[in-house]
Amino acid sequence: MTREEILNNLKDRFKDDIIDVFDKSPKRVYIEIKPDSIVRFAKYVFRDLGARFNTASGVDTRQHIEILYHFIIEEINLLISLRVKLPKSKLEIDSLAPTIEATNWIEREIHELLGVNFKGHPDLRRLLLPDEWPEGVYPLRCDYQEWDENAIRDRGV
Amino acid sequence: MSLKLKALLKSPWVFHLSTGSCNNCDIEILDCLTPRFDIERFGMLLAGSIKHADVLLITGSCNRQSVVRLKRLYEQIPKPCLVVAIGECALSRGLFIPSYNCPVPLDKIIPVDVYIPGCPPKPEAIIAGVVKLIEKVKAGK
Repeated sequence: MTREEILNNLKDRFKDDIIDVFDKSPKRVYIEIKPDSIVRFAKYVFRDLGARFNTASGVDTRQHIEILYHFIIEEINLLISLRVKLPKSKLEIDSLAPTIEATNWIEREIHELLGVNFKGHPDLRRLLLPDEWPEGVYPLRCDYQEWDENAIRDRGV
Repeated sequence: MSLKLKALLKSPWVFHLSTGSCNNCDIEILDCLTPRFDIERFGMLLAGSIKHADVLLITGSCNRQSVVRLKRLYEQIPKPCLVVAIGECALSRGLFIPSYNCPVPLDKIIPVDVYIPGCPPKPEAIIAGVVKLIEKVKAGK
């Protein structure tokens, strides 16, 4: 399938789930979708379109927590980024890990650094942070405050 | 100067430890060991195990996970030992000073004998630093 066929196909098939399509460049398209439909959408892109799951990235935009799932269709060199905006009051999304094994660790990382709860994740333990890190403190949030009283933040000169 | 320290200076074996650096300093340390810079002419040899080492070369900004390992390694190194901090991150954490994961600089965790600044320091700077260290210990300071 060509690039146009894939995009039109996605727009037809998921017209209720897609909020916005941002066609950035010939190699890259951002598709904003509703959080509830991420599993169906990602499953279709991964299984039926034959895309490779590259990675996911999470970012705190102050209004929302935004998660981008990056999929690459290598035959036509197209990077599809599925954008999901989660409200700060309800940071929950269905986990992709039961469907796509490669999302397991990146979801654990987003969980500990941004505090997003991935429902249905098989093993939501910490990945990078040490064991003594306090519960409920998420370092990559914009409102992160220093919690460690022993930390030294000057250069000593 | 004690006999132990005198024997150490004849051929200091170094152990290389990265506490979360970007690997540039590690590459420069490896450069020192190559024939071009040839740090072995000062008797220095890279030790495979911390228990054979006399000098600890430390790079990186000491993040929370690696500080535990760093302390464990410092307990295992035979004393007397010398500690060399290489690169801006090991000296003051550089641009990682406000980072949530790097709370304490290296010299507040273990005593440091020589600081070699640079991002990354050139192999010449590392060799100069280590030679200065040897002279400093020889002079008994």
